[in-house]
Amino acid sequence: MTKLDQFHSAFLAADKTTLHYEKLAVEHVLVVSDLDGDAAGELLNRVRTFLSVVDDDGTRWARLDGGGFSSVKQLLDAVDEQAPDLIVTYRHLHSSAWQWPHSLGEYLDVLTQATRVPVVVLPHPDAARALPHALKNTERVMAITDHLDGDDRLVNYALGFTEAGGRCWLTHVEPTSVFEHYLDVISKIPEIDTESARELIERQLLKGPHDYIASCRRRIAERHLPYEIGEIVAMGRRLGEYRRLITEHSVDLLVINTMDDAQLAMHGLAYPLAVELRQIPLLML
Amino acid sequence: MTHDPQSVSGAVTAGFALLLVAMILCLALEEKLHAKKSVIVAVFAVVCLLLGGLLHLLPFEEMVVVVGEEHIALPIYIPAIDWGVVAIILGSSLFVDITSKSGLFTWIAIVLTKTSRGDPVRLLIFYGVMTVAFSAVLNNVTAMIIVGSLTAVSLGRLGIGDKLLGFLLVEGLLTNVGGLLTLISSVPNIIVGNAAGITFVTFFSKTAPYVVVVTGITIWLGAKVFDIRPLASDEARSEAAQRVSGFDENDGIESRFKFTFGAVMLGAFIVTIAAASIPDTVLHSLGMGYVALSFAVIMLVQYKSIADRFYQAVDWDLLAFFAALFVVINVMEHAQVLALIGRGLAPILELGDTVGPSTLLFSSAAASSVTDNIPLAAMLAKILGSLDLAADSPYWWAVIFGANLGGNITPIGSASTLVAVTIIHKHGLELSFVGFVRAALPFAALQLVLAAGYVLWVL
Repeated sequence: MTKLDQFHSAFLAADKTTLHYEKLAVEHVLVVSDLDGDAAGELLNRVRTFLSVVDDDGTRWARLDGGGFSSVKQLLDAVDEQAPDLIVTYRHLHSSAWQWPHSLGEYLDVLTQATRVPVVVLPHPDAARALPHALKNTERVMAITDHLDGDDRLVNYALGFTEAGGRCWLTHVEPTSVFEHYLDVISKIPEIDTESARELIERQLLKGPHDYIASCRRRIAERHLPYEIGEIVAMGRRLGEYRRLITEHSVDLLVINTMDDAQLAMHGLAYPLAVELRQIPLLML
Repeated sequence: MTHDPQSVSGAVTAGFALLLVAMILCLALEEKLHAKKSVIVAVFAVVCLLLGGLLHLLPFEEMVVVVGEEHIALPIYIPAIDWGVVAIILGSSLFVDITSKSGLFTWIAIVLTKTSRGDPVRLLIFYGVMTVAFSAVLNNVTAMIIVGSLTAVSLGRLGIGDKLLGFLLVEGLLTNVGGLLTLISSVPNIIVGNAAGITFVTFFSKTAPYVVVVTGITIWLGAKVFDIRPLASDEARSEAAQRVSGFDENDGIESRFKFTFGAVMLGAFIVTIAAASIPDTVLHSLGMGYVALSFAVIMLVQYKSIADRFYQAVDWDLLAFFAALFVVINVMEHAQVLALIGRGLAPILELGDTVGPSTLLFSSAAASSVTDNIPLAAMLAKILGSLDLAADSPYWWAVIFGANLGGNITPIGSASTLVAVTIIHKHGLELSFVGFVRAALPFAALQLVLAAGYVLWVL
């Protein structure tokens, strides 16, 4: 390695990504369900209680009940027309497929990708899968990603949905399988010392998100915001790791990115998480 | 037996002179030959020694050192090498490498970046001054690497990558200005300073005013030529300050103790090197090479378990190049080639106290612009040394200023400008040989004219 590379790397490492904090403003919430009448009204009330953190005098709450749409197009047209800042719904609208935990249902599949509006996905009302603490409040919010540093939008949403005095977990799980695959390749390159590579790459992979979380803590302290920041930065098998973390920390809301600029389908990490983590609400950005 | 100078035939001298010219040409074409300069010069050293031996030019019988009653026979090429110079270069490069491991230089660089609050003009001033200071304390190449790397990263962060070429060019030009600041700032300084008997303190006191003024002028001209302006609005200033605030100066510091120790030792190193200039002291007798090596050893104690990593990082190409070069020059001396060049220089020296030094300065600069300035400095130091010039003779200074500043005329004129061009190309910017000369020539010409005036009328 040349000296030029050494110093270039040192300065790149010292150039830390810091959080640009922006206060979340949710003025219009649309609750979409396949229920009608009192059941739909009751759902709206539960949602308002659950999401009281974004509910203030100026917030407009609206309902799109089951009778209001019978196709994906009708749903998208209604969302376009109402232009909400946030949609709240659940999996498998107008379907009984919620009994099989293998998909999100056609409405939610398209909705999360066809609009830029964040969607809160609740456990299905009939599924009785919600954890005991779920849908009560948002005291413990967890943002999950495999690329945390620099993801200001994700963090700002996670903070915006955390109740005053609550704890917001910022997590970054680096997939072990990918890491091991690259190390396997490195182990076959004589010019690279495998053990040094393992140690240095792992350290640097985890250092970026760790430093970013430190910058989030600094911003929050500077602005005297009433949150605690929790940090989970680790190597692991993502799905299994998140299942464990959600139970361990009694998480009330998971925040996750779903959009991927490079593809029309949902972000690689988001889909399996959204399909499998059905016990607690998810905020899908 | 060795030849009397008078008995070396003109043909032999001419043959060796051709060898010297061939070596200098090969050094100029180093990149084309894909050969390290140490290998090029070592090949010529091997050939010169063999020919010198076959032609009985070398004083084999005199190569015995008497220590008390002990007689130690030395190979002819051992005393040919100026070990004092090698010790200074080895010691100071080791010392600097170990000190930089403490994170000291990156810390200074990042603190200055943050202090600038991202304003381009302030950044240019800070980076320019830092380049000069680092070139003076470290070496030109390391200074260019540190400041150039940071420039690329910080301008990228600020979204003003279009100014990168201007910044790097100004910094490259300033490395050779900073290289004039102290006796140990560049190899020509060490070689010529040692030959002339110029002390560290004298050197600094003589060159510092020039360096300060020319640094200011170069930065000012750089800002004008490359259209580097201050930020216009409060919003832009706030945005820039926010962006550079992300730099963490402590990121590269592994141990606070080692960092502080490195800073203290750097200060102590400069003071002790200066103290070695004081005549009739132990340090003066031991020499600057001893000081440099001692400080390197003290720093190595901090990293005793990984000392071998620092040995690997030593620029052995440079050291081998020196050793071989000194051998070649020694053979050239015995073959009367240096005397021949000296006679060629005589008309320049006879031009008088004004035209003579100026001509030597511009000639040295021209020669340094196309080939390595170290052989030039070594040869001229040897030739001027044989003329018994006083330490304050303008001819010494003409060589020092010319050899250093000549590197600013072309991209191959000095290793540090070559590094600047490498960084420029690494970031996808176009800069040809001619493009560099066109951009750098106004700066180099101004610096050389000012240097000539300074040598003649100020020193």
